Amino acid sequence: MREPVISIQNLLIESSIGQKTILNKVNLEVAKGEIVGLIGESGSGKSITARVLLGLLPSGMNVRGQIFFQNENLLTMSAKEHRKLLGKEIGVIFQDYRGSFTPFIKIGKQMAETIRTHHVVSKKEAKNISLQVLEEMGLDSKRVYSSYPFQLSGGQVQRAAIAIALALKPSLLICDEVTTALDVMSGEKVLDYIDHIRKETGCAVLMITHDLMQAYKRTDHIYVMHQGKIVEEGDPEQIRCYHQHPYTKKLCSCLLSLPGENNLVVNERVNSI
Amino acid sequence: MRIVLSMIGSRLIQLVVMVLVLSFVTFLLMKITPGDPIRAILKVDDVITTTAEEEKLREEYGFDQPILIQYSRWLLGIVQFDLGESLIANKPVLDMIMGRLPASIALATGGLVVLFLISVPLGVLGAVYEGRWPDYISRWFALVGASIPRFWLGLLLIYFFSLKLNLLPVMGNGTLAHFILPSITLGVAMAPLYIRLLRERLISTLQSSYIEAAKARGLRKERILIFHALRGSLVPLITMFGLSIGSLLGGITVIEILFSWPGMGELIVQGVMQRDYPVIQGYILIVGFLVVITNLIVDLLYLVINPQIKQGKEVV
Repeated sequence: MREPVISIQNLLIESSIGQKTILNKVNLEVAKGEIVGLIGESGSGKSITARVLLGLLPSGMNVRGQIFFQNENLLTMSAKEHRKLLGKEIGVIFQDYRGSFTPFIKIGKQMAETIRTHHVVSKKEAKNISLQVLEEMGLDSKRVYSSYPFQLSGGQVQRAAIAIALALKPSLLICDEVTTALDVMSGEKVLDYIDHIRKETGCAVLMITHDLMQAYKRTDHIYVMHQGKIVEEGDPEQIRCYHQHPYTKKLCSCLLSLPGENNLVVNERVNSI
Repeated sequence: MRIVLSMIGSRLIQLVVMVLVLSFVTFLLMKITPGDPIRAILKVDDVITTTAEEEKLREEYGFDQPILIQYSRWLLGIVQFDLGESLIANKPVLDMIMGRLPASIALATGGLVVLFLISVPLGVLGAVYEGRWPDYISRWFALVGASIPRFWLGLLLIYFFSLKLNLLPVMGNGTLAHFILPSITLGVAMAPLYIRLLRERLISTLQSSYIEAAKARGLRKERILIFHALRGSLVPLITMFGLSIGSLLGGITVIEILFSWPGMGELIVQGVMQRDYPVIQGYILIVGFLVVITNLIVDLLYLVINPQIKQGKEVV
C-alpha cells in the first residue's frame, strides 16, 4: 500500500503584489521509496513548489491549501517546528552546488553543525557521522571534511552537498535540478547514487527537472507543470505514449525529434549490410 | 604563511615609502606656508628683538640651510629614533608624543567600542527587519548621525548630560566618567557609515544561496545570522575601517580639544599654531605609522574572515 510522505493538496500561491497566481491548485504526492518527477519549463513553478516545502518562499506571497508531511500540515505548523524538519526529515540538493555551502566555513564543520542542530551528539560523534557519510559518497572523507568548498572540484562539492543532505537520513529528498550544472557523466553518477540511496533507505524523492528524458528514465511517477498548474500526471510510460495535454505533447515532441532506438537498430542493420 | 609574510613585507616597504613622501611633503608645505618658528620662539609680537638675534637663532636651529639639508638631517635623526626637540617646549618630541599617545589610543578604543555597540545592532536590525520599524529606526539614526558635525554633537552631549542632567563631567580626564562623553561623541559620529554599510551588505548576504542552503538544513536563525551571514558581511566593514583610520585620528583631534582630553590633538594644534616643526613632523610620522600598522592588521583579519583570500581567490 502506498504510504505518502508528502501530499500537496490544492496548493495556491499568489504574489501579493499584482495578485499574480504563481501556483494554481497544485496536487502532488510522493510516497515512501518512490521517485517522483516534477517537470516543466523554467518559470513554470517547479522551484517555487520546492521552496514552499522548505519554508523558503520570498515575502509577499499568499499561500493557501494544504501540504501534509507525514500527516502534519506544513502550512499550519510553527516556523520552529518546520525548521526542525528541515535537514532532518526533509533534505534538499540544490542546482547551485557551490552555493550549498558557506564558502568560508570548512565542509566538515558545516556538516557537524547540521547534525548537532538536530541531534544531541558530541562534536566527535558528529564528526564520525560526517566522515562516514562522506566515505559512503566515495569521497576522501578526511580531506573533504577539513577542506573549504573552494578547495574542492565541482563534482566533489556536489557529492559533499548530497552527503550533507543525506547525513540525517531524511524521509523526503528534494532534488532541485541537480544535474543541470554537471556534465552528463557526473550527472548520471549523481542520479545513480540518489537511486541507490532511495533503495537503501526507502526515502521518498521529489526530482525537479526540466529534462523529460531524465524523468522517463529515473522516476516512478511524473507530474507535468505548466504555468503554475499540474497539467498532466502519470507513470513515465503513460506520459510518453498516452499524453493528452497540448503542453505535454509539445514536450514529448521535442524528445521524439531525437533518433529513437528503432532508428538506431535500422542504422546498425544498414551498416552491417 | 608565505602570504602572511609577503603581506607584512609589502606593508613595511609601504611604510618606508609613505613616511618618506609624507614627511617630505609636510616639510615643504610648512616652509612655504606663512609663519615663522623663530619669531614664535623670540615672541616677536610681545618683545622687541633685532634681526641679528633672529638670524643667530635661525643659524642655531639650522633653518638657514637649504631645505634638502634640513630634511636629510631630520631623516638621519629618525633612523636613530630621534624625532628632534620641540622648538617651543625644548623637550624631545618623542617623549612629548609618547606622553600623550596613550590617552589618544584610549579615546580611539573607547570610540571604537561605542561604534561597534551602535553600528552592529542597528545594521543587523536594519537588514533583518528590512522595510519594518526597526529598519526605519536604524536608517533614521544613520541619517541624523551623518548630518550632525562631531563638535556640535559633543556640545549637545555636554549640554544635556553635564549641564542639564549633571551626570557626567564636562571635560578633563582621570576617571571612567570623563571617558564616556568623548567616546560616545567619537563612536556616534563614525557609526552612520558603518550602520549603512553593514545593513546593505547583510541584506545582500541574507539573500545569497549559501544562506538559503543553511536554512534548508534547519539551522537556527540566530546561528545563521551570526556565523554565516554576519561573518560574510564583515569584509567591506573592515576595509572601510582600514581606509578611515586616518580620518578617525583626525576626528579625535577635534574631540580632544572639545573635551580638553590630554591626547595628541592638543599637542598638534599647538604645534601648528607655533610652527613647531619637529612636533608636527613627529606627529605625522607617528600617525602614518599607526595607519600602516592598522592596515596590516586589517589585511591579516581578511585572512581570518575569508580563507579564500589566502588562496588568492575572489572574495564572496
